[in-house]
Amino acid sequence: MINKDSWTHWRHGLVARTLLAVFLVVLVLAGISSVIVSNNVKNRESQQAITTLSELVETVSDTASIAAFTYDEQLAAEVVQGLMSNSDILRVTLRATEEILASAEREAPSASLNQADNTSQIVHTLTSPFQTLELIGEIVVDPDWDNINARISQTTLETLMIQIGQMALVVAIIAAIMLYLVVRPIKAISDRLHSLGAGSGNLLDIPRGHDTSEIGQLVGDINALTGRLVATLEQERDLQEKQIIARRKYENLFDHAASGIFVADSNGQLESFNRAFANLTWLPESTRKISRSLTEIRWCEPERLLDMLTNSLNSQNEGYKYEDDFVLPGRHGSDRWVHIEVVALGDGNVQGTISDVTQRKQEEISAKHQAITDTLTGFSNRAGLQHKLHDLSSTSLPFALIMINLNGFKHINEALGFHIGDQLLLEVSTRLKNILSSDDHAARIDADEFVLLLQGEQERNTLDLRMDELLQLLKHSYELKPISKLDKPNSISISASIGIAFFPIDGSSLNDLLRSAELAFNSAEDRSESSYLYFDPAQQAAVEHRRRLEDDLRHALIANELELAFQPIIDITEGKMVGAEALMRWPHPEKGMIRPDIFIPLAEQIGLINRIGLFALEEACRHVADWRNKGMDIYVSVNVSAKQIPNGLTPLVVQQTLERYKLPPSAIVIEITESLLMANVTVAQTWIESIRALGIRIYLDDFGTGYSSLSYLKRFPMDTVKIDRAFIRDLYNDKSDRALIAAIITMANSLGLNVVAEGVEDEKQLTILREMGCRCVQGYYFSRPVHSTELAQSFLRINAELADEISVVS
Amino acid sequence: MIRTYKALLFLTSMLLAPFVSADLVLVANSESGIGRLTQNEVINIYLGRYRRLSTGETAAPIDLSENTDSKATFYRQLVDKNLAEINAYWSRLVFSGKTRPPQQAETVDEALELLANNLNALAYIDRTAVNSKVTIVFEWPEA
Repeated sequence: MINKDSWTHWRHGLVARTLLAVFLVVLVLAGISSVIVSNNVKNRESQQAITTLSELVETVSDTASIAAFTYDEQLAAEVVQGLMSNSDILRVTLRATEEILASAEREAPSASLNQADNTSQIVHTLTSPFQTLELIGEIVVDPDWDNINARISQTTLETLMIQIGQMALVVAIIAAIMLYLVVRPIKAISDRLHSLGAGSGNLLDIPRGHDTSEIGQLVGDINALTGRLVATLEQERDLQEKQIIARRKYENLFDHAASGIFVADSNGQLESFNRAFANLTWLPESTRKISRSLTEIRWCEPERLLDMLTNSLNSQNEGYKYEDDFVLPGRHGSDRWVHIEVVALGDGNVQGTISDVTQRKQEEISAKHQAITDTLTGFSNRAGLQHKLHDLSSTSLPFALIMINLNGFKHINEALGFHIGDQLLLEVSTRLKNILSSDDHAARIDADEFVLLLQGEQERNTLDLRMDELLQLLKHSYELKPISKLDKPNSISISASIGIAFFPIDGSSLNDLLRSAELAFNSAEDRSESSYLYFDPAQQAAVEHRRRLEDDLRHALIANELELAFQPIIDITEGKMVGAEALMRWPHPEKGMIRPDIFIPLAEQIGLINRIGLFALEEACRHVADWRNKGMDIYVSVNVSAKQIPNGLTPLVVQQTLERYKLPPSAIVIEITESLLMANVTVAQTWIESIRALGIRIYLDDFGTGYSSLSYLKRFPMDTVKIDRAFIRDLYNDKSDRALIAAIITMANSLGLNVVAEGVEDEKQLTILREMGCRCVQGYYFSRPVHSTELAQSFLRINAELADEISVVS
Repeated sequence: MIRTYKALLFLTSMLLAPFVSADLVLVANSESGIGRLTQNEVINIYLGRYRRLSTGETAAPIDLSENTDSKATFYRQLVDKNLAEINAYWSRLVFSGKTRPPQQAETVDEALELLANNLNALAYIDRTAVNSKVTIVFEWPEA
């Protein structure tokens, strides 16, 4: 019993298909062949029947001829009967020329009579037995077609049966061969395949006798495929294991990462997050395992975080990382700062990492705080003040900037040390705090400069009270602990200069306000008394004027507006002009002649003095070389400012300039002031020694006006002192001046120094000086400063006058 | 012996026929009124096909004995058959009984006698035996 499945299986099997195909082909062939065969058989059998009958007739034709010849009905009847004994003959007629001799007919269905037609009749003509050319009758035979056809059909049927039998046999044999050669091996392979494990790697056996057949090749191919399949499966397995490990690693990383990791949508709905995330964000515990949201976290600014998510998702730059810091208010008062980086994943979600940056933030804040704080006093420093001022100015509310300068603090620091200085500053800051309200702000912007920002102050009369209070506070002496306990406490009093500027009328920027305040207290004439001064816009005008002058001076240097004037120096003992002092002149194109005591300090302040100094040296050398070439044996003295040494005018530069103009060192004199000596004693000393080592003489200018310490003269090697014009002016009125000058000259002479008296304006003065033993003079009496082109003329004139004078005297 | 003989005879007749043909003539009773006959008429009469004469009477042909050379010669000349063929011919017909072979005369004389007694009788004789009582009704043309 074949069950349904196996029947279906068989029905679709190769054998069935082959058989069906063969069967159909055979059927068609059989159909065609049966038609052909039956036609053939029919024609052949019909022909055969006709032939047979014709031959039969032939055998009796002799006798029939005789019967016809003799008209012998008897014999004819015998012949006819003889023929009729053949079952294929339906009817026979033996006819003589004119008459029918004999005729016979089988009883048959009328249909077959009709069927008989002339074409199928066999007509045999009879000739005379003795004269073959003479026709004497005929035998007409009608074949019995029914009989013949029946026989033909029988034959045809038999032939077809045989053919069908053969075909059936062929089909059966093919089926058997197919079964044996193809299906059975395939079935065996199939069964074997079914029993094989998918990845077992077992191989199929090649069915016996199929080593070289297609089946064998198929098995070989399957085995090869199995091999590859096994290899692929192993690779796949390896890959899966790697993926599992990688996934485990990833999950491990995810779970145990120190950074919080999360995936969220634009609404902050969390898809996943790790433990660190929950810990870092203090994500509230929830029984819900899903549907957690970033908004559950108590951010200080949740909207900013959501904005960042939205920006990240809307970003055109794929993979662009958005990051920012966010604050979580701490439970125990300490805020937590977290740094969040988000990047769009491309599926509408963002992936974010979150890390605790509280410490860094605190350090930043601390550093920021430090950056704007004065470490000593805890006040703001200049940067802090800038910030504060920026904050305040943005509100546009008025406030007052109080600038406090501790007068002489530098000296205290130098004399008593930083330890004491710092204590003093701390004490000052403590006292300042007393007058500050909570809205006010204090800063220390320089060693001895404090700044207060007093909010709401805009009028002098209200501020006066506070300033008076402040002055009182600062005036008290400061008791400062000594470094060593053995020393007694220092009690120090210090005065303060206070400048006040109002925002915004006196300035809107810090620099403007500070400058205004500074201008205010700089205008205080006496620094020894504490005082406060309000900024006066007139001061501002002066400042503006000065600033323009600065610009003009810069321009003048470039445009070569500066020039030298020369005032002759006369040796009155020898009665001749020996040199000239080079004096800087600035004929301003608009403002006229600018005085050197105005523009030289300016040049010093704005750093142009070095260039001006070099210019002066260069010009002086050029002119003196010219004059000496013309036979005038004079020198030129050049003024050098304290700011020029040591680097602004190095001895080397001086030497090179002299060499360039082929001048001896005696052709140049350097004039310095006491302030130069005081600025930096060591540096000045070295510089002066280097200059003198070149053979250049040093004149000390303006002697008598400053400290005029005799120790300087001893300490610094000089050649000449120049007595300031102030002493010469009242020479014949002021006895003390006369005594002073006499002392100076005596002292100079005793130290081996020459003396030049400046500002000699009349003959009286000259006479006194001459009596005192002053050797050289300089002043209007002989010549005012003249242009370089006029000096030669002055030289001749002065020398001529002196010659006359001497000749008169003598 | 007989066969050898027959063979010889056949051979002889074949060879001598042209020469002997002139010898045989068909004769009837002079009084019979039978006119000249064509060879076909002679054949019809002797081979039993059609024996009615122009006189309206039925011809009565007379054969000679096989012992005579004349019979063989006659049939050889008439239908170009030997005696065996003639005999076979007749043997087919005798059973029907309708047509009879010619009456046989043992000798020429007997033939002549029969001829004399029967006006419808015909006989072939050597031209030399022709007499006044008989008239030639058929003779083969001169060769």
